[in-house]
Amino acid sequence: MRDDEIRESYFKYFNEEKLPFIQCKNCGHRFYYPRAFCPKCGSSDVEVRFSKGQGKIFAMTKIYRKDGSYVVYGIVELDEGFRMYSNIVEGNQADIAKRVEVIFKEINGKKYPLFKVA
Amino acid sequence: MIVGFAGKLYKNYEKDGIELLKEAIDEALEMAGLNYADIDGIMANIGRGSFHGNKTYLNPPVQISEYFGIKPKIIDHVQYGGPSVLSMIYRAYKAINAGDAETILCIQGGKISHLRDNHFQKTDIIDSPFDDYIKIYEQMSPISDYAMVAYRHSKLFGTTDEQRARVAVMQRYSASYNPKALFRNPITVKDVLQSRIVSYPLHLLEIVYPIDGFHVFVVSKRRGKSVLRNIDILAYGEAHWPNPPAEWDDIIYTPAIESAKRASFDLNRVDTFQLYDSFTITVMLQMEDIGLVEKGKVGQFVESHDLTFKGDVPINTGGGSLNTGQPAYMSGGVILEEALLQLNDMADGHQVKGADVVFLNGIGWWSRRHSVTLVLGERK
Repeated sequence: MRDDEIRESYFKYFNEEKLPFIQCKNCGHRFYYPRAFCPKCGSSDVEVRFSKGQGKIFAMTKIYRKDGSYVVYGIVELDEGFRMYSNIVEGNQADIAKRVEVIFKEINGKKYPLFKVA
Repeated sequence: MIVGFAGKLYKNYEKDGIELLKEAIDEALEMAGLNYADIDGIMANIGRGSFHGNKTYLNPPVQISEYFGIKPKIIDHVQYGGPSVLSMIYRAYKAINAGDAETILCIQGGKISHLRDNHFQKTDIIDSPFDDYIKIYEQMSPISDYAMVAYRHSKLFGTTDEQRARVAVMQRYSASYNPKALFRNPITVKDVLQSRIVSYPLHLLEIVYPIDGFHVFVVSKRRGKSVLRNIDILAYGEAHWPNPPAEWDDIIYTPAIESAKRASFDLNRVDTFQLYDSFTITVMLQMEDIGLVEKGKVGQFVESHDLTFKGDVPINTGGGSLNTGQPAYMSGGVILEEALLQLNDMADGHQVKGADVVFLNGIGWWSRRHSVTLVLGERK
């Protein structure tokens, strides 16, 4: 796949409420951030697959706004073995190791994957 | 071979960045007793939006040379954030030893106060190929990124807010004796914990304040009228983990583990440490990763040791950039200037007695992807 195709495909899948990741067909490495080649072995033989959207919180923080409200930002580890940054809604119950599941929300007119505490 | 240096720091500098840079170069050359005509090498790393209004130079050592009429034999643009200037010193020493140049300016900083409250103006400069999939989220990089590390460190090792606050308190104590510090009034652990939480668990008093400032270091084989000690590089190592930290094995480690191993220096020989201090947790992570304390034990270490310039383990003896302010979002110049002040017995009011060996470690980029370890002292 070409770099532009693979990057654009992410936005198409987000719109269909699917969470993509990439698996290297040469070494088996799985990663989220879209690349046309594997960052582990350099192979161009990679394929887009789809996550079940289930995982747990690996790291998180609550970012406080001036009005005292906050948003949760964190790193989520999906059951397929890759990690990604995202916002986590229903933040009150959010904590490291808590189970989460993907949801899709519009940000600046485009759909993106976020997570909610399961 | 470092024959002159200067740090010019302002909360809000009125004129343009290029004029602030000239102030710093003039002062550093004055200390060295050298002139613009002597400069035959230039290395630089400049904050975004730093020179004429919010203009960014594409390759700062080139455009700075153009403006100042410098005709260098070598030019190097070292840009991996805060520790870049530590690498420039190493590269300048090597270039001079190889005969490639005689007098090299190493420059870091910028004028960014106009961007400070406006955060980052949108530009077509990207920080990561994956900005479109990361920065879209509500986040506050780099504060939220370090906050995640601080929280995970607490969860795994029981590190407390009080322990992190102690780092801020001890650095502030040292800053109270440093005339160049922006923040000098003493603070307590309670003050830190009562300051606003910006990104949980980090409080306002655990976070650097971005300012306008340049540091200039003159590396030369010509001594001019310089009275500085003949400081050498005793050890050096750099390490780069360019992937987004979400892809690392764990975010509680930094590449300082590898840069320090590459430098491979006996810490018992060190008189003072200057460790990058963008946040309290940054200092603590490096204390662990350079091998001063075992991973996970830094909380207890800061409770049982005095890190001030008067203490048994003097770290960031001028108060660090937590108290001088952070020039153009990069603290490397602050720790390097402090190291040179200490080595030359010039640390006015906060001198560590018998400071012959200084261990520096810098951490760079929004999310700690780069680390540089540099040990300075006289080779005997």
